[in-house]
Amino acid sequence: MNEERVYTVSELNRVARELLETELGDVWMKGEVGDVSRAPSGHLYFTLKDAEAEIGVVRFRGRSPVLVALEPGMVVLVFGRTTVYEPRGRYQFVASLVQPVGAGLLHAAFERLKERLREEGLFDASHKRPLPRFPLRIGVVTSPSGAAFHDITSVLARRWPLAHVLLFPASVQGETAPGELAAALDRAGRFLLDGALLDFVILGRGGGAAEDLAAFNDERVARAVYACPIPVVSAVGHDIDVSISDFVADVRAPTPSAAAELATPDCTEMANLIKRAAAHLAIAIDSRCRSAERAFHSALRRSIVREPRRLVETCAQRLDFYAGRLLGFPNAVLEPRIARFRHADDLLRLTDPRRPLHRGYSITYRVGETSPVRCAADVAPGDEIETVLAEGRIQSRVETRRTE
Amino acid sequence: MKIEEALAKLEDITSRLERGELALDEAIQLFEEGLALAAATKKQLDEARLRVDQVIEAAKGTLSVEPFDVS
Repeated sequence: MNEERVYTVSELNRVARELLETELGDVWMKGEVGDVSRAPSGHLYFTLKDAEAEIGVVRFRGRSPVLVALEPGMVVLVFGRTTVYEPRGRYQFVASLVQPVGAGLLHAAFERLKERLREEGLFDASHKRPLPRFPLRIGVVTSPSGAAFHDITSVLARRWPLAHVLLFPASVQGETAPGELAAALDRAGRFLLDGALLDFVILGRGGGAAEDLAAFNDERVARAVYACPIPVVSAVGHDIDVSISDFVADVRAPTPSAAAELATPDCTEMANLIKRAAAHLAIAIDSRCRSAERAFHSALRRSIVREPRRLVETCAQRLDFYAGRLLGFPNAVLEPRIARFRHADDLLRLTDPRRPLHRGYSITYRVGETSPVRCAADVAPGDEIETVLAEGRIQSRVETRRTE
Repeated sequence: MKIEEALAKLEDITSRLERGELALDEAIQLFEEGLALAAATKKQLDEARLRVDQVIEAAKGTLSVEPFDVS
């Protein structure tokens, strides 16, 4: 081959493919299944991986059937050739045989760690703490650039904007992630805001492939969650993803958005609650006013009150004053009450004992008594009586009486 | 006042009013207090804006709080 030769992309991909196919030939390979997808065409695409590397595998339709349904975490043996998919320049393995080999190694490691931590008591229900009802200081341990943090703050801004959110940044995937997550969790757990610990901390990340969530299955992270002095809400990936940190955390949320939802009250609901409380107040004061009114009317019926108008006027004036101050409050709670007091006021005007006096009537009492004299038999000759006129009073002595 | 305290106080005022044992003066005063509390709490909810900061390790062992731009 000429050293000066310039390849086209197509030529290079073809040469690479031929080299791989002829040099390597058909081989057996063992690995753990990662993501699996079945194309509408019936071809099966999946990744095979071990602790350090992965490769894309294709199994075309029409070969001998795969004996088991492939699932992530399963370890399989494949037989086939390594090739290049020329249109994309993608290096891949074309399997002609796929055979399962027991449960996946990574999955087995996950299960082993889970069992060990369970036995040690890290998942105990007795260790789990409830979240406060009205959290005001919320810690979040996640990546500052990830979707998770954006989701959490969007939900909180709409649902519970009274909160103060404190982000403790950490990588959520890659080699350094477990150490960073554990350190950030430790900081969040001990952090003092105005002298008080945070109400709780959300630990999480958005969805990703199983290997991207691996940091949340790390023992260091699990132990940091367990040791955290404040409640931890674990929110890793999507609904279906389960991580070790979910088991250790005080509360498990299916997604970061869900964590923000389930850990906070809804301020619209709170506003309704307050409206209802105000309505209850109005009902209570209403019935209190009614009973005062009843007492007032019955007092009115029992005797002549000397200066009743003033009392009502004071009440009405005070209600006007309150109504003025409360104007703008949505429930016009005082209106009906003011109307009722006005009515009582009118009633009093009509029954004011002074009104008839102006027309020439008068009221007579026996001196020293408060009930008016209603019939001649109430007095005896010689009694001192007092007559109340529209203006002034006359005191006199009974000479005679006629009782007919 | 913290929102949970305001709510508890509101509940307390309502139940005291509902028992109906108070003098009219006291009842009206308490009612006014309750309404003012409800209005203030609702205002607090209406005006709240989420605050977002990040806490980073400035130097070994020293944490600093900085505003975090969510937009």
